[in-house]
Amino acid sequence: MSVKKDSSWEPVILAFCCNWCTYTGADTAGLNRMKYPENVRVIRVPCSSRVNPQFILRAFQKGADGVLVCGCHPGDCHYATGNYYTRRRFMLMQRLLEYNGIDPKRFQAKWISGSEAAKFRDTVIKVSAEIKALGPNTKFAEGYYAQNEGGNE
Amino acid sequence: MGNLTKEQIQDRIREEAKKALATGEVSCVVGWTKTRFPDKTKPFFAYTDAECDLLVWNEYCINSTAKYALDDRYPEQKIGLITRGCDSRALNRMLKDNQLKRENLYIIGVVCDGKENPVCDGCQHKNPLTYDVLIGEPVEETINEKRFTEVEAFEKLSADEKYEYWAKQYDKCIHCYACRNACPACNCVECYADQYRVGWQGKAADREQNQVYGLTRVFHVGDRCIECGECERVCPMHLPIMRQTKKMLKDINDLFGNYECGLPDDSKPVLGEYKLEDPDEFM
Repeated sequence: MSVKKDSSWEPVILAFCCNWCTYTGADTAGLNRMKYPENVRVIRVPCSSRVNPQFILRAFQKGADGVLVCGCHPGDCHYATGNYYTRRRFMLMQRLLEYNGIDPKRFQAKWISGSEAAKFRDTVIKVSAEIKALGPNTKFAEGYYAQNEGGNE
Repeated sequence: MGNLTKEQIQDRIREEAKKALATGEVSCVVGWTKTRFPDKTKPFFAYTDAECDLLVWNEYCINSTAKYALDDRYPEQKIGLITRGCDSRALNRMLKDNQLKRENLYIIGVVCDGKENPVCDGCQHKNPLTYDVLIGEPVEETINEKRFTEVEAFEKLSADEKYEYWAKQYDKCIHCYACRNACPACNCVECYADQYRVGWQGKAADREQNQVYGLTRVFHVGDRCIECGECERVCPMHLPIMRQTKKMLKDINDLFGNYECGLPDDSKPVLGEYKLEDPDEFM
């Protein structure tokens, strides 16, 4: 993936969507012919708590410019309690990534229910605009040594 | 340290170790013994009375004994452990994680007066929290006001500075996994880093694989860290690992209330439970 910034550059955003709420919400957005940026790649997961913090590191490594984790609102989880764990886990993950130099806008979590198609569209529009403003992500990306000629000084 | 001198404590340790072996229930006592260097000790397993006399107690008894209990998870006899405050917290957490059974342990607690180890300056638990016998008078605990000052100072840097700092640190990592092997919080039977299939942990010692290893370990250790500093002490490349793990603890403290790992209560681990009134930033 190219990391050069030019006018035609579009961010790659990975969205982990919970099967029961956000994925249905995205589906509803499609059925209602809502228009949202094509930057977002949706990955369906059974629950937002299925997302391992390592997935996010791997996403940045493989060239994602932003990662979005979406799930049911607290209290609405299909598995009753999954998203409460998500909430604790990703509040910590967001801070840890910020501590390691990743802008907190690049990794966001949102609650979007099955009926909130408009919220899904708005979230994707907002996140993709924010990440477009930040520019391409080079942090944690693979091939650092290959691109910068040599390794340890 | 109460009223006992180091020599008296050492004598008491040997005495208690012999007494434990004499009962026939304990197979060995894990402690420290002297080496050929005057300022180093090494972990030591005493199986006989003669070996008990080789146990020492001085300011260089640094290695954590708690982790050795994991070497035999299903022992036929009890394992005796000489335990300081930090070791007892490690044991408490391993017991909570169901890695050990309390009835398989015989814990000889020793009130610690700090060792020749920088982390001991910030120690908040000099008295062992769990023990079968206690050596020495319990001392008053001090609260470490500077627990997170290093983390707070680092947080103030710009994002690029922070990234560059950590990237250069992880450039040094050689994937020896010494931090994992020494860490009492890293108590999984099988570590994700030992998996050989693609996608778990890349084995190349380059920047990106080191970053993934470093950050994943920080998150795995997360709420288990007892701040004993073993990871940093054993790191041959001198990575400031505690600066990452303490960041996790600081956030847990900020978000979910005061938290210290390894206290003998029946609270659940922070990342293994939830509260309905947790702060919500994802609405």
